[in-house]
Amino acid sequence: MQFDVAFALSTVPTILGAIGMTLLVAAVSCVGASAIGFGLELIRRSGGLGGLFVRFLIDFIRATPVLVWLYCLYFILPFYGIRLGALATGMIGLSLYYSGYLAEVFKAGIDAIPNGQAEAARALGIGRMDITIFVIAPQMLRNIAAPMGNYFVSILKATPYLAVLAVPEMLGRAFDIASETYRYAEPLTVAGLIFLGLALLISHAIKRLEIRLLGPTAR
Amino acid sequence: MTQTDDKPAVQITSLNKWYGAFHVLKEVNLTIPSGSRFVICGPSGSGKSTLIRCLNGLEAYQQGTVTLGTIRLGDNARETALARRQTGMVFQSFNLFPHLTVLSNCTLALRRVPSMPRKEAESLARHFLEKVRIPEQADKYPAQLSGGQQQRVAIARALCMNPRLMLFDEPTSALDPEMVKEVLDVMTGLAHDGMTMICVTHEMGFAREVADQVVFMDQGSIVEQASPSAFFATPNHPRARSFLNTLLH
Repeated sequence: MQFDVAFALSTVPTILGAIGMTLLVAAVSCVGASAIGFGLELIRRSGGLGGLFVRFLIDFIRATPVLVWLYCLYFILPFYGIRLGALATGMIGLSLYYSGYLAEVFKAGIDAIPNGQAEAARALGIGRMDITIFVIAPQMLRNIAAPMGNYFVSILKATPYLAVLAVPEMLGRAFDIASETYRYAEPLTVAGLIFLGLALLISHAIKRLEIRLLGPTAR
Repeated sequence: MTQTDDKPAVQITSLNKWYGAFHVLKEVNLTIPSGSRFVICGPSGSGKSTLIRCLNGLEAYQQGTVTLGTIRLGDNARETALARRQTGMVFQSFNLFPHLTVLSNCTLALRRVPSMPRKEAESLARHFLEKVRIPEQADKYPAQLSGGQQQRVAIARALCMNPRLMLFDEPTSALDPEMVKEVLDVMTGLAHDGMTMICVTHEMGFAREVADQVVFMDQGSIVEQASPSAFFATPNHPRARSFLNTLLH
């Protein structure tokens, strides 16, 4: 069976039709994973029992496959009366899973800020919360723009996992075409190329952002 | 500014601090009257930086009391926060916020702590930038300034909070020799304005000219306290004598 370019092109509109779903899942998961990850890292830094628990949680998340998380959320939670739709489950699953990784990135970004920054802010009488928001977070983001962008690309590339929950994203759509036509090469290649294009776009945007963030403020 | 002149600006009583088994501050007693300028000097590791960091809550201590004006640190969280806000601090490494412009460095605390409106905060900040003689740098970022300029911004940033007491932790030690003078000039100006100042510094010229009292520390204790003229002419403690000898030659 040869690669049929005309057939490949004919699958493009169908697969592209699902790009909105892929981008929605990726965007919500990036925001969710960042927010949860930052929260986890703040709890971990505060120490105590909560910090210990979060440390365990982050290691646990990172040591389990993402598919296990998705299946557990989707198939096991309903036994406890928690019924989430496939799309919501998928986005929550990816957010939780990647929050563990992003927490590690945030940790590195915060550790790289000299102690004197928080000390100077404390000496000015600025409160703990304001120090986190106005002094620590912006400098952390400058430090971690590149690795954070990598994880955003990873999240984008993890959206096809949601096919197992029958969320109609791009790879799922490609598989639908394949199972109807028994031609796999063309739709999967098309889906792959679209993912490649999106990943390149995100990397480029992150690079631009990094340059802007550093700008004249580099130490 | 309400100032009770009968109360000393700082009263340190029997202060003791340990880092693990290491006894960094040993029975430190010091009274600093309002409006006076104290210079603390001594060899490195003598506890002088640790001592002034205890005065605004950057370091915890295990024994003794620190009273700023009428507020005893640690008695009451709200009052302690107030005392800290009324104490400005300037660090050896400047510690300006690199992601903010000079002006925003000065206004951040004003905007967040007393929630001052932007316009008001900015005009106050510009006033103090004028005072440290760099109003024209307001829109630059710290990395675009020289060390001396950065340290002057740090002083302006602290002054914006209207402190009753200014702490200087080796403010000129990280500066090129040429820039030391511009920072010392600003500090001298502050002293002439009547600010209560505690300076950890090795700038003996500054101590001689500006200080009311020189405090010499060694191995966690205050071993000598005297007026600059007495201290420089006839230091009593042998450790102070050898310290001055190495410093002045």
